[in-house]
Amino acid sequence: MKKIWHIGYLDLKLMVKDKAFFFWVLVFPLVFILIFGNLFRGSKTDTKASLIVLNQDKGKWGAYFSEKLKSPGIELAVTKSEPKDYFRMLVIPADFSLKIEKRAAQTLLLKKDEDANMQAGAVAETRIAQAIVKLISELIIYGNHRDIKAFFDSRSPYRDLVRVRTRLPRDTIAKIPSGFDHVIPGILIQFVMMMVLLYGGISVMEDRKRRVLARILYSSASFAELFAGKFLGRVLMGLLQSAILITGGKLFFHLNLGNIFISFLNILVFTLAMACLSIFIGSVLKKEELIVGVSVLLANMFSALGGCWWPAEIVPPAFRTLGMISPAYWAMDVFHKIIFFGKGFAAIWPNLLLLLAFTAVFMALALRFFKINE
Amino acid sequence: MQQTILEIKNLSKSYGETIALANFSLSLKKGEVLGLLGPNGAGKTTLISILSGTLRDFTGSASFKGQDLFSDRRLKNLIGIVPQEMAFYEDLGALENLMFWGGLYDIPKKELKRRALELLAVVELSARAKEPIKKFSGGMKRRLNIAIGLVHQPELLLLDEPTVGIDVQAKVNILDIIRNIGQQGTSVVFTTHQLSEVEQICSRIAIMDKGVVLAEGTLAELIRIVGEKEIVEVSGEFSADAFSAIIRQSDGNGMEILSVTDNQAHLAFADSERIPAMMQHLFKHHLPISDLKIKSPNLEAVFLKMTGRSLRD
Repeated sequence: MKKIWHIGYLDLKLMVKDKAFFFWVLVFPLVFILIFGNLFRGSKTDTKASLIVLNQDKGKWGAYFSEKLKSPGIELAVTKSEPKDYFRMLVIPADFSLKIEKRAAQTLLLKKDEDANMQAGAVAETRIAQAIVKLISELIIYGNHRDIKAFFDSRSPYRDLVRVRTRLPRDTIAKIPSGFDHVIPGILIQFVMMMVLLYGGISVMEDRKRRVLARILYSSASFAELFAGKFLGRVLMGLLQSAILITGGKLFFHLNLGNIFISFLNILVFTLAMACLSIFIGSVLKKEELIVGVSVLLANMFSALGGCWWPAEIVPPAFRTLGMISPAYWAMDVFHKIIFFGKGFAAIWPNLLLLLAFTAVFMALALRFFKINE
Repeated sequence: MQQTILEIKNLSKSYGETIALANFSLSLKKGEVLGLLGPNGAGKTTLISILSGTLRDFTGSASFKGQDLFSDRRLKNLIGIVPQEMAFYEDLGALENLMFWGGLYDIPKKELKRRALELLAVVELSARAKEPIKKFSGGMKRRLNIAIGLVHQPELLLLDEPTVGIDVQAKVNILDIIRNIGQQGTSVVFTTHQLSEVEQICSRIAIMDKGVVLAEGTLAELIRIVGEKEIVEVSGEFSADAFSAIIRQSDGNGMEILSVTDNQAHLAFADSERIPAMMQHLFKHHLPISDLKIKSPNLEAVFLKMTGRSLRD
């Protein structure tokens, strides 16, 4: 084990010593994060459905209707003057009561901020629809009595005579992962691929060409220790890249990774697959330019297909299905499940198993083609 | 009697139709510096690769201190190998390299560092211990290459052409280092195709060609193979066939043809008084001779006699 660590740690050290190291692992991904982060900025932080009610009504029905909007899932604020900032605001007009008394048709205005959270908006709009239906139904039952509150207090079974329930169609995407919490894990997955395939692949090829691999076997280190050391080195490269981006994400973008343990597990399993793939690439390709080309192509293709740049939830179903050939898809799916959909281990373990299957395939290829001499 | 440290018996290895080693046998005693002399393609590197355990599919055996070299991986802790290539990390410094390569053996870190610093002094790289190796000259890299092979204090050091591609001064330094290693009790096998190198530093010499050992012994023992003869080197614009045809027409008594190639031939004379008559014979047949050298018997003559060709061929 000591020799495996010794060999693996040196590869990590050589990567860190590279002059361009910080550009590739920090500056370059930051550029991507800023571009895609702003492109998919998505909602502001009103994950709880907030609703401002601007009650301009001159009668009693505006206040009564506002009461109907109250719900545990809604942060309701009733105001007489229009606030500067809001996510969504319902305007009750000045002649609201007058029109109710006359049983005349009327219009309520709902104003929304374009960046407001879609899911929270759906909750608020549903509540508004429910309140309208309830009020109309109560008005029908109530008829022309004077005090509607007293009427229903004395006839409590009538209050819940009309129930309004809303249900979204199955598979409706109620929430689309967006913002830096989507983009940073995406760029992290992309750059783990890119860095491990590039640095890992090139160093395997160079070590073979310079006969460094052969010289390691001149010592008492076995072939298995040499291979395991090279594998560990590439895993360490991936984990270091991840640690740098997570730290940067936490410091500058308040990154939320959901369940930290699952996130780490996800990154680790994904890195195992990439470590094997990099050894395979470095073993079969003999020129640095080829390794660079293949690595960049694979990393970008897997990123695009896997939903690292844009959420896989917004792409057409056929493209989404195609994306499943990319290991990045399964890793991103884990991130989305734990960050945006509040899922736990029960929902993500099949993804981890699939990533381990990718690892097994790449490991078999790496072992088959790994050679110490040209 | 000195202990036999390395015993190689009947090693054979082929690459397709090409035979690299053919029943190669050799033994080495403790503290000996053995020069393995042979032209390119003689099988020297193949031998080192087999002994280092990186080349498979061969027949024969090799034992180190009486134990099968290929069955016990721990024996590798006692053997140092210096490959022909500069096989190390050029982005690291000399000290970092020594610490890495030494770290592959079970040496405590403190002891390893002490040993690495000591070796850097031996190979005269202490002043540039932390500088990236890519800035080193060829000779400095060669010296570090040797230091890496010595970092775990091996009892046997195998060097594969350690002086290839460096200038004369660097070569002298490296030969001094190898001589010192031998004097300190480490057994050394040193492959080269430079006659002068083995003459200078080896206690025993083995001449090999086409995968077999043709002759072995001390320098004096090998020279005795040629005997007390004068060696004449004839150079000129002639073909090997023309030279041989003219020589056949002479009486040839007391003369031995060591080698004949286009433009050069080596003849050995038991009686130096016969040399002028032979030269007269060559001139009489208008052989275009441009240079003539008379030498005392040396390793080159032995090599020519054993292989029929010069090391340069």
